[in-house]
Amino acid sequence: MAFLYLYIMKTLTLAILLFFSAVGFAQDKPLSNDDRGKLIYYEVVTVKDAHKDSLSARAATFLKKSSKSLKLKSRESDSVFQAEGKLIVNKTAMVLSRPSGEVLYNFYVEIRDGKYRFWLTDFNFIPYQRDRYGNFVPSTTVGVPLETKPGKLNAAEWAGYLKATTSAVNVFAGRFKAAMMNKAVALPVIKAEPVNPAKKW
Amino acid sequence: MKLRSLFTLATLTIASATYAQETTEAPLQISGSVDTYFKYDFAKAPNIKTSFVTDQNSVSLGMVDLALKKTTGKASFVGELSFGPRGQGQSIPNGSLASTAGGDVSASSFHIQNLYVNYAFTDKFTMTAGYMGTFIGYEVISPVANFNYSTSYLFSYGPFQNAGVKGTYAFSDKVSLMLGLFNEWNSYSASRGVSSVGGQLMVSPVKGWTAYINGLHGLDAYGNYSTIVDLTTSYQVTEKVKIGLNAADLSAGSDNFGYTGVALYPQYAFSPAVALGVRAEYMNFKGVAGGDDASVLSGTLSANIKAGGLTFIPEVRFDNDKDFSQSFLKSDGITPTKSASQFSLAAVYAF
Repeated sequence: MAFLYLYIMKTLTLAILLFFSAVGFAQDKPLSNDDRGKLIYYEVVTVKDAHKDSLSARAATFLKKSSKSLKLKSRESDSVFQAEGKLIVNKTAMVLSRPSGEVLYNFYVEIRDGKYRFWLTDFNFIPYQRDRYGNFVPSTTVGVPLETKPGKLNAAEWAGYLKATTSAVNVFAGRFKAAMMNKAVALPVIKAEPVNPAKKW
Repeated sequence: MKLRSLFTLATLTIASATYAQETTEAPLQISGSVDTYFKYDFAKAPNIKTSFVTDQNSVSLGMVDLALKKTTGKASFVGELSFGPRGQGQSIPNGSLASTAGGDVSASSFHIQNLYVNYAFTDKFTMTAGYMGTFIGYEVISPVANFNYSTSYLFSYGPFQNAGVKGTYAFSDKVSLMLGLFNEWNSYSASRGVSSVGGQLMVSPVKGWTAYINGLHGLDAYGNYSTIVDLTTSYQVTEKVKIGLNAADLSAGSDNFGYTGVALYPQYAFSPAVALGVRAEYMNFKGVAGGDDASVLSGTLSANIKAGGLTFIPEVRFDNDKDFSQSFLKSDGITPTKSASQFSLAAVYAF
């Protein structure tokens, strides 16, 4: 009996540890530097048995659905896409949050039969400032490359922007890969069950 | 017992992980600023009478500013309150209480900077109602949105805020038009009814260049029905160079107060953390009832040194009042002079 109790305890402890590990250590893939010295997120993905046309259609659908934050700049022969994107960097504490800036980037996709590659690069940060109406708006129109060395004064702030960008890019990459697998990113839907208070209880 | 605790812990963990799905709407935004300054007027008495930065040879307070913003679907609100000399008696509307209390700013209440609701009927058309920062002019009350810490004559004599209702239609990213009906300047409620009509045309001909052409006709802060026409524009020429311009004309007939002015704001950013900027201003006060015009020239050199949310603003300012309209005095406190100069060092923290 004692052996069984110990076994259950060990298994449960392991399960809880694994759960926390999965939540706490789901680390983002860091941005690398390309041959120009620019920060880049680069990935080659193999999709077995997927035809080039099918992958192109999926990429086009993704770009169309993301048109608010991603503007298609060029499309060559249905296999090369280039788009300009924007992501908002937020300062968050508990349930509060406010935008601290935006990061502009270029997004590239190249497609072949059974595989594709994509990369995000040319990250430029534009800080936000509060305007006369209390809204956060870009303080300038020319961004600062994210690989710029910020100097001592703003090192911590800049590291925060870089971390937030890395995280947002990883989320974006996940969304894109899911779309290319033709898996819709389904949000959990909680169905309201009908309630009848008049019913006997 | 331990087994039960583990089950409870596991249940709580899963519950807290699933709770997140309830908080999908935009969170409440809280932001604001705090500012403080030291000023030294070289005549050893405060000479330059533009808004704020008033105290001589004193480490003094600006204001604490707190803003809330919440968006739910197409509706949003902004509520922004300020406390402290800059945000109370020195930026009206009940600053008159401070003057009757011998300059005691605590006699005036906190100041509502923004209190409005907004509804976006479509992506292009929004309507806003409440009390808002004015759409006229380049500079604002909050030191966070200004490059220079001291303020211009154009700012000081123009409107600070407008209560009213306005609609804005965006024809594209490059052109939008706002039209609205407002109370008199800087007033929470209308003393003579909704007296003003105003509009703003925004054009952005090229990337980085935005121009606002503004007009407001109605009851002003001087008790007159006046018309103010204003151009506010800025151009981010390169990553390092930015140029701003503000020009305005206030007319209320030849027997009433009016002015024409222009201010240029060239700025150079040595790095994202360090920038230098100049404000060069010319202000002409129109002669009243046949009197002569009087003009002032002002030059202000400011630096912005940023460290995280903190910005240090060292600043020197030289004003020339050739017509003695500003009552500048020499250091003896008696002899009138045409020139005034001051140094200030401000610290502004924005969060």
